[in-house]
Amino acid sequence: MKHFFPNESKILFILLFLLLFISFLGQYSVAGGQLEGHLQRHIVRIVLSIILMGCVYRMDFRLWNNYAYLLYIFAFILLIIVDLLGVTKLGAQRWIDLYFFILQPSELMKLAIILTLVRYYSLLSAPEVLKLKSHILPIFLTLFPAVLVFRQPDLGTACILIGTGVGIIFLSGFPLKIFATALVSCFILCPFGWFFLHDYQKNRVLTFFYPDKDPLGAGYHILQSKIAIGSGHIWGRGFLQGTQSKLNFLPEKNTDFIFTTIAEEFGFVGSVLIIFLFLIICYYFFWAANESRSRFSKLLCCGLGVLLYLHVFVNIAMVIGILPIVGIPLPFLSYGGSSMITFTISCGLVMSSLKQQKH
Amino acid sequence: MMFDKNNLRSSIKFRTKIIFSLMLFLGILLILNLYWLQIGDAEKYVLLSNKNRIRILPILPKRGRIITSDGKTIAGNICRYKLVMEQCNEQVFLKNINLLKQCINLDSKEESRIAKLRKKRASFIVIKEDLSWEEYSKLSMILFRLNGISVENIYVRDYSMPMEFCHVVGHISKNTDNMRIPSGKTGVEAILDDQLTGKVGNLQIEVNSIGKKVRIITSQAPVDGNDVTISIDSQLQKFVYDLLAQEKAGACVVLDISNGEVLAMVSFPGFDPNLISHQMTQAQWQSIVNNPLFPLMNRAVGCSYPPGSIFKIVIAFAALSEGIISPKDKIFCSGGVKLEDHVFHCWNRWGHGNVNIFDALRLSCDCYFFEVAKKIGIDTIVKYAKELGFGTETGIELPNENIGLLPSRKWKFLRYGTSWKPYETMIISIGQGSILATLMQSAVMIGKIYTGNYDFSPTLIKGKKKNKTQIPIKNECVKIIKEGLFQVCTSGTAANSCHVAYGISGKTGSSQVKKIKSTEVGIDQKRLLWELRDHAFFVGCAPGENPRYLVAVMVEHGGSGAAVAAPIARKIFDKLMKK
Repeated sequence: MKHFFPNESKILFILLFLLLFISFLGQYSVAGGQLEGHLQRHIVRIVLSIILMGCVYRMDFRLWNNYAYLLYIFAFILLIIVDLLGVTKLGAQRWIDLYFFILQPSELMKLAIILTLVRYYSLLSAPEVLKLKSHILPIFLTLFPAVLVFRQPDLGTACILIGTGVGIIFLSGFPLKIFATALVSCFILCPFGWFFLHDYQKNRVLTFFYPDKDPLGAGYHILQSKIAIGSGHIWGRGFLQGTQSKLNFLPEKNTDFIFTTIAEEFGFVGSVLIIFLFLIICYYFFWAANESRSRFSKLLCCGLGVLLYLHVFVNIAMVIGILPIVGIPLPFLSYGGSSMITFTISCGLVMSSLKQQKH
Repeated sequence: MMFDKNNLRSSIKFRTKIIFSLMLFLGILLILNLYWLQIGDAEKYVLLSNKNRIRILPILPKRGRIITSDGKTIAGNICRYKLVMEQCNEQVFLKNINLLKQCINLDSKEESRIAKLRKKRASFIVIKEDLSWEEYSKLSMILFRLNGISVENIYVRDYSMPMEFCHVVGHISKNTDNMRIPSGKTGVEAILDDQLTGKVGNLQIEVNSIGKKVRIITSQAPVDGNDVTISIDSQLQKFVYDLLAQEKAGACVVLDISNGEVLAMVSFPGFDPNLISHQMTQAQWQSIVNNPLFPLMNRAVGCSYPPGSIFKIVIAFAALSEGIISPKDKIFCSGGVKLEDHVFHCWNRWGHGNVNIFDALRLSCDCYFFEVAKKIGIDTIVKYAKELGFGTETGIELPNENIGLLPSRKWKFLRYGTSWKPYETMIISIGQGSILATLMQSAVMIGKIYTGNYDFSPTLIKGKKKNKTQIPIKNECVKIIKEGLFQVCTSGTAANSCHVAYGISGKTGSSQVKKIKSTEVGIDQKRLLWELRDHAFFVGCAPGENPRYLVAVMVEHGGSGAAVAAPIARKIFDKLMKK
């Protein structure tokens, strides 16, 4: 195991470069080879994110431990501000306009939740972990921001926050039996959540269950996405040859539906390659956790892996029609700054924790 | 031990394994789904994808012209201008519409139709068909400011002599959306539709999600339809039409005996096929349909009438062929024939005295034919009538031909369940009663007798090569009938109008439309209601011994054939002989 990744950080770097290269190809194809506009900004973001990743890697790892709670509080306040006076885009308040940069606090919250929970659990002793009482605080720490995000309304991100929180709680050593019972009861209570959904969210869920009911209306996106992916066949239509994306049949083709564009042009082979790349990165995160000594870095690496994989799964599952469309970007590939920053920081953190191990 | 077990289960390493197994499971789930989508159902989705982006638009060919034998185009195409807008986004669309409103009339109904088509992702939207010159010139001034808007030429059917030719040429289906190919509905337009239509071309274009054309994939040019020439002479047709137009309703057929080609075929009143083939208002349609004279009907081939005295030719032919009578035989006409307590009157109450076959035809003596019919019986009459073309199609190419009615014993039994009565044979012998025939059938009967060929049939197509099998008719009886018909026009019923130097042979006919009472015999037809007057017939040919032209005239409720139909035929013959 130890020799599986000979040069620890380098392997992640290579994987990341591969993904970012695919990301570039995807965005290039969507832009139709036009450098101006989206593609240019995307390249700038890739470069900036890599620099940011370097910074995180060089930073003192202990700082993250020290400032975890502070970051959480900061993100929480931002979420409340968004709730009160956010910028409305596409019928949802998700962004804060900082004049030079539109900040999405829910994105920041993803990292803050992980750091906070991880810090909380790293301080807990093994017998304390087995007690149910000690898990009450983390549960609330997860639920509060999730509710705020849900109110924006952003069902997808709220689910991701809860998923990540639950993942870390589970990893920390939450009693298995109770966990299983809680999971089952949540599953049963799920239908009652229906009453808290917005109309457009209800529509999406309904469309998900009956996509063919209204092929030109709400089911249009799912259908067009499936057509694009399906018509890719084994090897795809070829780079820049995807008709569904070129002729604008795909919705949000450079953000949430970037996977569709790639699947159309590179086929089954391309899509499976992307899934494998993400699986390997997650495996790398878990491997890094295993390598770490401190409980903090162990939990942190695992938590980041869960966060990353949740995004990947929900995004791909929704574009191929096995989950409702909830607006989750595909890490590294989707166009969008906030998400890119979150995941490059994650990679930086994992590398940083490995580096710290060596010293 | 217990603690150890718990410790192991709660260790991060163990939990990591669980989580990663779950991730692998979810990953495999995704890959399986992708496999079904991209490999299992790939073909279906490729098809759907192509259906999304590829549109096939038809390019309509120009319909072939219909030309008369004297070279006049009676059904051609005229160019009209059509305003078409390419699919575009909302902003361009609104700008276009606002600019267009300045030069053409667009009411809110039209606007909503256009908006609807745009929503439906139509690649091309027809904004207005048939632009006027004023609109066209206004448009060309601002065309450069409009985006994706073009004026296209379309060809619409144009009938140059609509009223004269409506029944012969017919009309095409109303072209509502300009996407379907118009097809011929009646007349020559229908029977030669295959030749006239041509081949539709197509344009395969790639469109984007709003339906806007991105590029042309392939295109195939249309093949224009072929021109066809019909046997009708436009000048003669016009001449005949003008003659009939003086009556209330009627029909006329002029044939070339040598090859059966129809030189003129008019049914009056007519209608304007230009209206039916283009935009027609409900009121215009109603005025055609509700006209009591039924202008849509082709009276020459589509309507049948009792043939009247013209049928006497058939009786004479049958009797002569069977050898029952000879030219020497004379029958005494006292003005009536008695059958079972009932007297059948001759049209001439005073009787014609002793008449032979020539006199009988010449004077159209009813009694002579009553006696002959009594001798030969209905079965023989039906046999010969059928051979001369009654009760069957004449072979003219027009659709919806009426075959008339040739009553027989079998027909009577099937229709009324009773047996044939002898008095019915008497009535049939003078072309009254249940017998019905079209004007064309009467004309063909004359044609058969004068060509001596049972296979004589009329045609509308110029130079149509028919594989004519000659079925000769017994020569002697034809000669006798020809002589009889010649006498009709020299000293008989038609002598007043048809006694001419070049020699016309023919037969007049006046067929009753109702049973007349004994008090009404010989009453002046002009004093009767129009609907109760006799139909006036004349069929004949000229010139002389070996005639070239055959004319059949029918004036509906015209009165006496000799007084009304024969003069019309005479004028037509005069016109034909001058040629």
